[in-house]
Amino acid sequence: MFIQTLVTGLAIGGIYALMAVGYSLVFSILNFSNFAYGSIIMLGAYIGYYVLMHMGVPLALSVLISIVGAALLCFANERLAYSTLRKRNASSLYFMISAMGTSIFLENLVYATIGSRFYAFPEVLTQQNVSFGGVSLGLLDVFAIVFSAVAIYGLHYFLQNSKTGIAIRAASYDMQVCQLNGVNVNKVIGWVFLLAGALAGISGMFLGMKYMVYPTMGWITNKAYIAAVIGGLGSLPGAVVGGLILGVLETFVSAYVSSVVRDVFSFSLLVILLLVLPTGLFGKFLEEKV
Amino acid sequence: MSMLELKGVTKNFGGIVACKDISLSVAPGQIAGLIGPNGAGKTTVFNLITGVYSPTAGSISFAGRDITAIRPDKVVTHGIARTFQNIRLFRNLTVLDNVRIAVDKEVDYALGEALVRSPRVKSREREICALAMEHLEEVGLADKAEVRADSLPYGLQRKLEIARALALRPRLLLLDEPAAGMNPEESLELAGLVRILHARHDLTILLIEHHMDVVMELCEKIFVLDFGVKLAEGTAEEIQTNPEVLRAYLGEGYKRVRSQ
Amino acid sequence: MLEYVSGIITFSLIYVIATVGLAVFTGFTGLFSLGHAAFFAIGAYTAGILTYFYDVNFWAALAAGVAVSSLVGVLIGYPTLRAKLRSDYFAIATLGFGEAVRVLLENLDITQGARGLPGIASETTLPIVIVFTVLVLWVARNFVHSRYGRAAIAVREDFVAAEMMGINLFQVRMRSLVFSAGCAGLAGGLFAHYVSFIQPGMFTAALSTQLTASVVAGGMGSITGPTVAAVLFVAVPEALRMASMWRLVAYGFLLVAIMVFRPQGLFGFREISWQSCVRCFRKKPAAAGGGAGQ
Repeated sequence: MFIQTLVTGLAIGGIYALMAVGYSLVFSILNFSNFAYGSIIMLGAYIGYYVLMHMGVPLALSVLISIVGAALLCFANERLAYSTLRKRNASSLYFMISAMGTSIFLENLVYATIGSRFYAFPEVLTQQNVSFGGVSLGLLDVFAIVFSAVAIYGLHYFLQNSKTGIAIRAASYDMQVCQLNGVNVNKVIGWVFLLAGALAGISGMFLGMKYMVYPTMGWITNKAYIAAVIGGLGSLPGAVVGGLILGVLETFVSAYVSSVVRDVFSFSLLVILLLVLPTGLFGKFLEEKV
Repeated sequence: MSMLELKGVTKNFGGIVACKDISLSVAPGQIAGLIGPNGAGKTTVFNLITGVYSPTAGSISFAGRDITAIRPDKVVTHGIARTFQNIRLFRNLTVLDNVRIAVDKEVDYALGEALVRSPRVKSREREICALAMEHLEEVGLADKAEVRADSLPYGLQRKLEIARALALRPRLLLLDEPAAGMNPEESLELAGLVRILHARHDLTILLIEHHMDVVMELCEKIFVLDFGVKLAEGTAEEIQTNPEVLRAYLGEGYKRVRSQ
Repeated sequence: MLEYVSGIITFSLIYVIATVGLAVFTGFTGLFSLGHAAFFAIGAYTAGILTYFYDVNFWAALAAGVAVSSLVGVLIGYPTLRAKLRSDYFAIATLGFGEAVRVLLENLDITQGARGLPGIASETTLPIVIVFTVLVLWVARNFVHSRYGRAAIAVREDFVAAEMMGINLFQVRMRSLVFSAGCAGLAGGLFAHYVSFIQPGMFTAALSTQLTASVVAGGMGSITGPTVAAVLFVAVPEALRMASMWRLVAYGFLLVAIMVFRPQGLFGFREISWQSCVRCFRKKPAAAGGGAGQ
């Protein structure tokens, strides 16, 4: 029971980590909470579901299409809703409102056009189990853990080794200096949103398989924000660790206490954390620059 | 007795040492200067005095009272006011409102009264306006009272920041590059203004400045920082002849300017 | 027909009360709440439960609703509004707060879960709402034009400089939050005793969105702008018989469009006053370009 709960928790935590990394990536570079991220995840899931179920595309390819679709949407989101604000040097409040507007717009557009129906992926994908030393685990959970790990490692490798990755890391330290050194900030930010969108596509597919596809499924990104706060806003390792911690804790709470209090628990955790450890585990922004 | 005293103040940011073991003392009524190349830690010293940062080690006292790691909003109650290197006005507000916010701390009426706007509140509000206008007149900005702060030309924005700081009725005024971006003529005019304000308000002033003519003209005592360490202190004469300072900061360029 | 119109006016004004509260908070301190519906719900449920189960006097119940939601504002603000914490933390916390309140309302016995409270005494009338709206607008205006309001604006404009003016960030933010939570609570109490039936589904993110959209569209830093916007946002969709999800699509689009094209809001930063209205009618061209650009 314990091990099973732990692994289930890690699987959920892996998805939280993916989302939290995507969210933190944007935060680290533009310094605002991208509340539109949840709706990109939701749209990624719809795209994946549609091509899989209605166009007969094989699963692996539909995941890929979902990734590409979400990446492009995330990119478009930045160009349409944030880039003007960026050029105007607007405060983060304005970015947050724009992000919230995007999220409300997309979510309700889906609601109004596609409808509020819940769509489930075929059971063949979601209900298979594997046994490991006496514990039976959902194949999906195992996939989620492996895939999240691979995706996060891939991102890490990209940020460490590619030229664009290095530019992204530099820009997250100091955008202005970066610009002065001839880095095309527009391009770097475009890349950041493409990468974040790609992660949104993966998380959307996994969330869709686990909990079905519906207009408000993006709300689960609340958990990603909390995970990011646990790890320290803007820190990528923090997002991974925070995601895993939150996933595991939540699963234990729903297994041993009650699933009703799960969400209240996560929120209380956030509030307690703000009191004791406001900068999170790996907090990057300790003091405002004067 | 000194008005402001820093003893062995050190500030680390992660692994970076911004200030190391800085000790300095400013006497009451003195105008002192803090100079040094960019990144020497001058503004950090201001931020430490005003509690924006708390020092990693060392102590800061003002008028005999310890103000180490004081909360920024308590600084003014001790009688310290400052301006900022990168101008921090309330940009979308009018010139008058900028100063009114500073004057507000003098006039006390309770929240309950404010919510129903009692006659007392109304008369206090009129006093606030009148006081704020006085402060604007002092720096010659009275005719710009209704202009939005960010539409003022750069030099006037600096003056407005000084007026706003003075409206707090400080005993110690910290000026962070008050003449930045000004031409020699304007900066000398500003030096004159600082001198007038200093005398009229019985101020102690510590200023950071890159315009050497302003510093030499105003400051009785000068502290030189380099790489977060205090390199030297003394009068303008002493600083100008200190070989270490010349090498580290003023350089050959300054000699050339002076000999012209 | 008259009843229909007076109904729309009553609803609009109830939203105005909550919107003015949020305008004082978001517009004057620059903090962004994603869960203001929760304060509305707390006011509605507190007042509703008191008159429904305990036969408490309507006015006392209304006051209790205001008190409880203000108190909850203090509890939420305490960990999240402390100095040095970025405003993102507050936004995220309110998001979680909204969710937590919804979960509680759906699971507590006293709130009767998703079934809600049917048959709350119908006490709120149009004159009562008008009086409260005028009162709230007057108090909000007094607040904004006092040293307390200026302190809030100073924090919004530049909190580092504000601190040097001796302004305590936490106090200023907390004051505005409590005021706006109280307004939302009042609106909630009036709402519960107008529609006579409340359930958790009425106080979702859609309501928070409507309030935020009114403030943003009306102009952050203005009281009158959001007031006009709040009325429009209730009356126009109602008159057009717009489905609620399409309203939200429109609000979402409007939020982004305003941020991108007209961050000062539809009516500009300034207050709408008699003088400016008179000027508007006398000299059309001068007034049209009146809104100072960003």
